[in-house]
Amino acid sequence: MLRRIFLPAILIILGYGFWISPDFKEIAAGVAIFLFGMITLEEGFKAFSGGTLEKILKKSTDKLYKSIGFGFIATAIMQSSSLVSVLTISFIGAGLIGLTQGIGIILGANIGTTTGAWLMAGFGLKVKISAYAMPMLAFGVILIFQKAKSIKGIGYILAGLGFLFLGIHYMKDGFEAFKETIDLASFAVDGFKGLLIFIGIGILATVVMQSSHATIVLILAALSVGQITYDNALALTIGANIGTTITAVLGSLSSNIDGKRLAGAHLIFNVVTALVAIVLMNQIISVVDVISDFIGIANDNHTLKLAVFDSLFKVMGVIMFIPFVDKLVKFLESNLKGKDKQEVESYESVQYLNDSVLELPATAMAAIVRETKHLYINAFEIIAHGLNLKRTNILSEMELEDVIKEGYSKNIVDIDDFYEHRIKGVYGEIIDFATQAQSKMSPEDIEDLYALKIASRDIVDAVKDTKHLQKNLVKYKNNLNNHIQEQYDGIRIGLAELLRGIDVVSKMSEEDEVIVLLSKMKVNMQRYDILANGTLDNLIRNNLITNEMATSLMNDSAYAYEISKHFIAMAEIIFIDVSSDIKNLGEDMLISDEEVDKILEKGD
Amino acid sequence: MGVKKFIELVTETLGLDEMKKSSKKKSVKNLLKKLNSKKDAISKRLKAKLSKKKTKELNEEMEIIQFQIKKGEVILKKLNS
Repeated sequence: MLRRIFLPAILIILGYGFWISPDFKEIAAGVAIFLFGMITLEEGFKAFSGGTLEKILKKSTDKLYKSIGFGFIATAIMQSSSLVSVLTISFIGAGLIGLTQGIGIILGANIGTTTGAWLMAGFGLKVKISAYAMPMLAFGVILIFQKAKSIKGIGYILAGLGFLFLGIHYMKDGFEAFKETIDLASFAVDGFKGLLIFIGIGILATVVMQSSHATIVLILAALSVGQITYDNALALTIGANIGTTITAVLGSLSSNIDGKRLAGAHLIFNVVTALVAIVLMNQIISVVDVISDFIGIANDNHTLKLAVFDSLFKVMGVIMFIPFVDKLVKFLESNLKGKDKQEVESYESVQYLNDSVLELPATAMAAIVRETKHLYINAFEIIAHGLNLKRTNILSEMELEDVIKEGYSKNIVDIDDFYEHRIKGVYGEIIDFATQAQSKMSPEDIEDLYALKIASRDIVDAVKDTKHLQKNLVKYKNNLNNHIQEQYDGIRIGLAELLRGIDVVSKMSEEDEVIVLLSKMKVNMQRYDILANGTLDNLIRNNLITNEMATSLMNDSAYAYEISKHFIAMAEIIFIDVSSDIKNLGEDMLISDEEVDKILEKGD
Repeated sequence: MGVKKFIELVTETLGLDEMKKSSKKKSVKNLLKKLNSKKDAISKRLKAKLSKKKTKELNEEMEIIQFQIKKGEVILKKLNS
């Protein structure tokens, strides 16, 4: 209801403003151009967020102070805390970082936004900024039309900055001209009442513009020509800081539970800091005067003093919150809870795929990789139990001969039921999500995405093959013919070795070890193929097994071979990704089927 | 000069293509270094007295590593040419 009224109301107010004042039109156009500049700038930075994102995030957010530093630098460069919070929600959604790191980034981003006020007060208001805007726009737009992703990105950044500067120029000019017709300063309200009213206006302005940065630039432009008083400008700044959390809250609605918790932390942090600032307003103003004096800012230079105030109250807030980050995480975890665990267990759902990670191609890709790994973990368990093997035994250092002796259960495990509950839904969602994600991706990313879809299909196929294999494993388990039992035990040993190997690969970080182990698995897979190694011929020729057994063995050996093939192919895609060195080389370094044959020939 | 040519010139002047190539070269060199030291380690182990099964296993691993070193060298040669 409110939403339905909100937009027409804004449009009517704007229309009325344009009708009565051409100067208001200039200010509004300045704000619109500034916001468009921010959108363009965001687009540009998104072009550079792929590839090494995961590595950078891991290295720069492993400690709280690093997360704060990362948030500060990212916001100072991108000049948008809203973008940084939305991206942080997206990183959390994709499982790239945890809630504590996310809160650190948000704290840093709050300090990072102060650079915008400094730039505007120290540079934007003093020089003819539009002179820089025009060449930036011209170069930027030319580069935007280029095909190369990075050049396009540079184009968007240049054009974005150009629009930001142009917007500032119009806002400044608009306020100067506006002053000659209406003196907004006459609407100034003093005292505590004024503080609350202008905080409210600051919140409202930021909610409408969806950018505290734009609000602060607007405040500075108005303050520079004396259209608002210094005291009211301080209140507006506090309001802008609260209003900005609304963008993060809206961004988190489509996120997973950690994304929602992060938005909650953002809201708590900004509101508490604002409350403290209101209570200590007079003291903060005195400190601002002392700092301003110390760094040589003139007493009547209200724009730079506002920048000092903005920095001081945000830094104060961060320092105040640092000791309580862990408590805040605990509070949010206990008060904002995810889905009921029982619901999750009955029909397993996806863990990393949500709309928030679609924000960036890199986070969408990282989320799909993680979800495919989740699918692999489920499949590992199903295959192990389908072969009547204990997962813990496979992952231990137990001899494989002993692993197959200790069965998982006396009853037959229902693979169909497992498949329905833990594979089918997750697989379906991965494919659906990948289709959505690829609309924003470059051709190279789409190629990687295609490989991931194939990896998911490999996992599903391996589970289906296990179902076929299980039938005869059960049938020949207690057969009196030792030869057939021996062969089926051999199949189970081979697959247990494969599962153990894949698990080792999944935990490895040394790329040389990964490719050697995967190659070894390929050699083993070929070695265990009883059709190729002549074992089956030998059993038939010497009448050691019946024709029926031979057919079963032939089929099941093929199933085991397919399971191995699918799992190795899947591992080459999802686990090699961990190491950037091999990813850089692609499939060029992996051993081919012909080379496997040559190695086996030499071994014989 | 067309815009496309201008971009190509800038890319060439800034050496952006070379940067991509040299990062790939670095990856291959790193990998080759690791594989070669692995090869040396296996050679040393093979000189010691081992069971038949272990010797066979190590020989097979050596074969795999040698194939991969060859592959790496071919990639490096291509990148250098």
